[in-house]
Amino acid sequence: MTPTLEFKQNSHLDPVLTDPATRVLQADKLLGRWLNTNRETRGIAECLIARDGDQFTVSALGVGADGPIEWPRTLASALANLEEEGGQRAVVVAATFDFGFMTAETYIRVNKGVLVIVLYATFRDDSGRSNYVNREFFYSQD
Amino acid sequence: MQFAQICDRVKIDPASVGPISLSAFPGTWFNSNPDTTGIAQIVMSESAGNLFLQTFATGPAGLIDWGKVAAHVFTAGPSSRLPAGFTSRYDFDFVEIQLQGMLMKGLLVLAQFHSFKDDSGRADHFGREYFAQLHDS
Repeated sequence: MTPTLEFKQNSHLDPVLTDPATRVLQADKLLGRWLNTNRETRGIAECLIARDGDQFTVSALGVGADGPIEWPRTLASALANLEEEGGQRAVVVAATFDFGFMTAETYIRVNKGVLVIVLYATFRDDSGRSNYVNREFFYSQD
Repeated sequence: MQFAQICDRVKIDPASVGPISLSAFPGTWFNSNPDTTGIAQIVMSESAGNLFLQTFATGPAGLIDWGKVAAHVFTAGPSSRLPAGFTSRYDFDFVEIQLQGMLMKGLLVLAQFHSFKDDSGRADHFGREYFAQLHDS
């Protein structure tokens, strides 16, 4: 007897979600060192995504006043990306960088060979800065 | 001022900081894909300077109302007061769904992160869809 699945939208009942092929995370296209396509960026200059088994980590270099600022290596959650990339189920990783004064929630995916980082910055100091969202694009250096 | 990227080093006069206008959000946002199997529409509203959203997703017997939740609003930059996106979260018994929205040229680009908490074996997954408000011509 098939168990009844709870759902909140039709796609929660999509058999593809229990297909073993979906659970095998096709992350090869995401791994490695990525450089910002904009050399004049004032944001993230480069990003490194690594994998150890099912564990993903993300590190980054921010552009600083006197050289790059190393962002802490952060564990990332990997989710199957149901949008197909090159005929394969791809992976999106979500990583949250905690700087104390600011939290940067990111989600990272590859679209047609370009790495896209969407960043939601939340300031926790009293600087008066606005929380903001930003998107930057990266190319593979590997 | 602390920063992790130099674009965050901005001068802000706290006395001059005004509220963020939420006028770009309120209304009903419809999925651009009529055949979606996910979220069909989102009703956004403003109350006392806060943004709320009510999500309606497709179901086998019609739309499923996820209820109304608060959203965190994000601007276009650390010195901007122009709204550019939001985040919100639905926590159901069997699944947690994080929503991250970005306004782009009148469209709402909605990223969705579905993390299952039951033992159904379903894969946690990501999706991205586009929404637009209908205007009278």
